[in-house]
Amino acid sequence: MGGDKIKKDKRQKREDYRAAMRSQEGISELPRKKFYRQRAHANPFSDHQLIYPPHPDQMDWSSLYPDYVVDDEPQDQHTPAPETPSDQQDLAPLRPKRISKDVEVADIGCGFGGLLIALGPTMPETLILGLEIRVSVTQFVEDRIKALRAQDQDTKLYRNVGVLRANTMKFLPNFFRKGQLAKVFICFPDPHFKTRKHKQRIVSTTLNAEYAYVLRPGGVVYTITDVPDLHEWMVQHLDAHPSFERVSEAEQEADPCVAIMRTETEEGKKVERHKGQKYVALFKRLEDPAW
Amino acid sequence: MALPYHLLKVCGSTVFAAQGSDIHSFSSALEYISTWKYPVHIADEANVPSTEAQDSPAPEGPPAKRRKMDGGKESASNGQPKSKKAAQYIVPANERPFVQGLYATTDGCHLVAITGSDKTIWVFEHDGRGNLKLLSQRAMPKRPCSLTLTPDNHTILSADKFGDVYALPLLQSTTTTTPPTSDPIVVAPLPKSRSATPSTPAAPSTPTPLLLKPQGNELTVHTKRNLKALENQKISMDRNSKAQQDQLNGAAHDVVVFEHTLLLGHVSMLTAICIGTTSGSREYIITADRDEHIRVSRGMPQAHVIEGFCLGHEDFVSRLCVAPGGKARILISGGGDDDLFVWDWARGQLLGKAGVLEHVRRAVVAVEGEASTTKVAVSRVFGCRWEGATGVFVVVERVPALFRYELLEDNTLCHRETIPLPGNVLDVEMIEASGVAPPRLLVAVDPGASAEGLSSSSSLILLDKEEAGWRQSNVENLPAGADVNISTKELQKILYSTETLRKSSDFD
Ligand SMILES: C[S@@+](CC[C@H](N)C(=O)[O-])C[C@H]1O[C@@H](n2cnc3c(N)ncnc32)[C@H](O)[C@@H]1O
Repeated sequence: MGGDKIKKDKRQKREDYRAAMRSQEGISELPRKKFYRQRAHANPFSDHQLIYPPHPDQMDWSSLYPDYVVDDEPQDQHTPAPETPSDQQDLAPLRPKRISKDVEVADIGCGFGGLLIALGPTMPETLILGLEIRVSVTQFVEDRIKALRAQDQDTKLYRNVGVLRANTMKFLPNFFRKGQLAKVFICFPDPHFKTRKHKQRIVSTTLNAEYAYVLRPGGVVYTITDVPDLHEWMVQHLDAHPSFERVSEAEQEADPCVAIMRTETEEGKKVERHKGQKYVALFKRLEDPAW
Repeated sequence: MALPYHLLKVCGSTVFAAQGSDIHSFSSALEYISTWKYPVHIADEANVPSTEAQDSPAPEGPPAKRRKMDGGKESASNGQPKSKKAAQYIVPANERPFVQGLYATTDGCHLVAITGSDKTIWVFEHDGRGNLKLLSQRAMPKRPCSLTLTPDNHTILSADKFGDVYALPLLQSTTTTTPPTSDPIVVAPLPKSRSATPSTPAAPSTPTPLLLKPQGNELTVHTKRNLKALENQKISMDRNSKAQQDQLNGAAHDVVVFEHTLLLGHVSMLTAICIGTTSGSREYIITADRDEHIRVSRGMPQAHVIEGFCLGHEDFVSRLCVAPGGKARILISGGGDDDLFVWDWARGQLLGKAGVLEHVRRAVVAVEGEASTTKVAVSRVFGCRWEGATGVFVVVERVPALFRYELLEDNTLCHRETIPLPGNVLDVEMIEASGVAPPRLLVAVDPGASAEGLSSSSSLILLDKEEAGWRQSNVENLPAGADVNISTKELQKILYSTETLRKSSDFD
């Protein structure tokens, strides 16, 4: 009973805090992690109340990257849906506001967003998106980005980073078109030690086909983990997929993203504190074979 | 309770119709020929050599009833394997799995069936005159939801509940022992694959040591999050190793001992699979899932390449149909949405939609006087040449009518008519008549859902198009089905499973 009460109070506090964070525009105070905690695992197989577009063309990116909105056809947003939709209108659903660029870098399971925040300023011309399945963790990153943007009014940093709640194992093709991405980061993914749960792993022979689909030829999958068996698993499965080829160590170490990935993700920092090992592997998306 | 016929398949000049776990055969004039009955005894091994195959027709009469061994505590104290699977191999008549899919090779020489709860694919040789000979039965790792055959009739592509597509040879070669594997990751024919499949066939005595090896230890795991996962693993391993030991003492029914190759997978239950062929005679594998996706992958051996998606459905997709008659680049899909979708599947382009809900509502008003229907679950989309054009017949779950659409030259899909029937429609097939006679439709209905009940109306109805409209005639002299002890509720659950694909909205 007592425990329940404490739990409730804590939850209430968290909710109040988050509501306050979200109600204020232009707030520049960085969010505090302890108010955004959530159960460690979300089942990627179950039907969460997820929001995703039926087709990438129907994705509204404008609220994630407001600085990149091109305001042609501004009336689109305001035209109410016709009362009796004819078949033709059905086919061409209301187009969301357009933005001038496509997202080209995705951080899969971005957690608390350390990688996004570090990558953003290093590639200011590129739109970067974090995808995270846990609701409150996603909210934390949203609030973090909002605060950083407010802090950096003059430099206009962080306008190119965004975060979305999504189950990437199911809905990657709903957000990205074929070949849209140049880089996909998979940093410290959940290990799912149990054999029974291997299909829950974010790297698998069958899922790799979807990473190949959203990546353009020449694009790169970045992986890092502190679990040797998981590293081996990811290498084995990406290696086995004909669309991917391991990037040489020389090329890997020359890539500035690798250093950032090692030091800037929250998990990477934890491993650092524990003086743990980090295993890195990069894979290049090859051209599809002749068909 | 007598069961309705619920699945139909025309195979050459024979009509096969499934009723519960039995498969009956009829001539194209609907004269009864024979029945294959789901065997009451299944041999110990999941893989029955064809020498043990049972010829059809099966001996008449209800098979001896057997009590299913209790898989629970009682059997454990008997020293029996605890595994539920082990108990499944003696199946009482009333618990035999329903036939959930019927497929025929294009040459009509083979019939392939899926049975549900035992996850098994059955291959029969068909003598062309309605007699079946069981060639193989293969229990899959996960329940197959839909399958298709490659155009050369050599390979079965099975799409399962776990989201994976496996390729299996239609005919198992008897000379080579095929490397088994229970781990899907190593079976794909990927050129660079580090480890091919293990080279020895897995006998029941081959344990899988990998399962017992912890993946990571306290020294290699540094974060709290991962440490917790490792702890959980250890707890469950203690449990698992006990279960494994039990399993090794009994027969290891989980080990799949026939050739099966993982081709591709979604992280979602697959509901339909078909093959599309482009003018360059390239083959593509088209798969649909419960999460609204239709995926187009290259055919073998490049099934790991995703060519594209047909995206636009906002509810589950349950049925796919590549248009017949020179319109092979058109795909029609249906599911939990109000409309059928028409696609240029090779381009991933939505060409149009055709309403279903509106016609269902009209049909329901005609029967019940008011339209309470607000959503539909499409359970069949069947394309065929019809009166010189492309006909598309659509079945909607729990609706006592058949809907006929036509795919026009410009690829618009038009509703043409609604054919009311005396019970919920379960399946439809076209029977090509010889000579100049127009084709007829054979419909399986659930008479249980009609007022008259089963006694007065048949479950198989022939539809002949005449000047004045459709002439309906019951197929007479159906073989007396076994009296199966199943509750109405259970039966409905099996016959009407499409709607369950819809997501309930009260998840987080
Ligand atoms: C161990 S954390 C790593 C977070 C971050 N990449 C880092 O390195 O700090 C893994 C994250 O992946 C998320 N995740 C797991 N499965 C996911 C899925 N299917 N889609 C999106 N995110 C997922 C988890 O919620 C978790 O936040």
